[in-house]
Amino acid sequence: MSSSSVNYKNFFYPPGGILLWIIILVEVITFGFALVALAYNNHLEPEIFASSRGMLNTHLATLNTLLLLVSGYFMADAVHGFRANNLKKAKTGFSMAMVGGLLFVGIKSVEYYGKISMDIGLTTNTFFTYYWLLTGFHLVHVLIGLVILLVLRSDLKKKPEALKLEDVEAGAAFWHLCDLIWLVLFPMLYLI
Amino acid sequence: MKNNLFYTLALLFFLTIANALVSNFSFATKITAVALLMLLAAAKFLLVAFRFMELHKAHGFWKAAMIVLVALIVSGVLIAI
Repeated sequence: MSSSSVNYKNFFYPPGGILLWIIILVEVITFGFALVALAYNNHLEPEIFASSRGMLNTHLATLNTLLLLVSGYFMADAVHGFRANNLKKAKTGFSMAMVGGLLFVGIKSVEYYGKISMDIGLTTNTFFTYYWLLTGFHLVHVLIGLVILLVLRSDLKKKPEALKLEDVEAGAAFWHLCDLIWLVLFPMLYLI
Repeated sequence: MKNNLFYTLALLFFLTIANALVSNFSFATKITAVALLMLLAAAKFLLVAFRFMELHKAHGFWKAAMIVLVALIVSGVLIAI
């Protein structure tokens, strides 16, 4: 296991690395623009947006939010465990974070199945175009995050000495990015 | 540290439930409801960034960038809706 004493206060070394933080900023800006566009279209077509939003399952989306938050908690705990050379805690954290992510994907699949069986697609109306694109892109991020977690957990199990703290922090930062995006998507799509 | 993370998670849970409850209230104007929901979302966003992603340890630029970005998103939504 390779750990380092990085000075996080240095502009070039935020926790997770500067490259990942640039990606995080770009992603947040991109989703931010999409959310403002969604709000603008909501202003133009309030009835369509209200009736379409009424067809979404708020309970499942709230449950998914809680799952991502718990998953993020375990991810943060795993990083602390790795930093303290507590590999068991780190492994457990990675595993629990992955379970949270997989449950999120499962619930999202149930939600998607419900919409598809009602013939609600990308071109149904403006609201559902946003719904499919935004939740779809977010889901892609969750799936990529799960692959990163799988690789990190596998490396931690097979060759922990080769795993660097910077890599663990970068993987964790990407996983938390999924939380960040969802936290602003959730009220805009399901609650407003 | 584990306790800090756990308290953060508890606060995030509380804010999420508050988010869901607020959406069921009837407000005099739609903008009030949207503002409240987006402010709760922004609070959760910053909690995850600062506590789970450890942004509190980072250079001031990264902290300011995230705060400004989330403020811009909330303002943009409130102006556009």
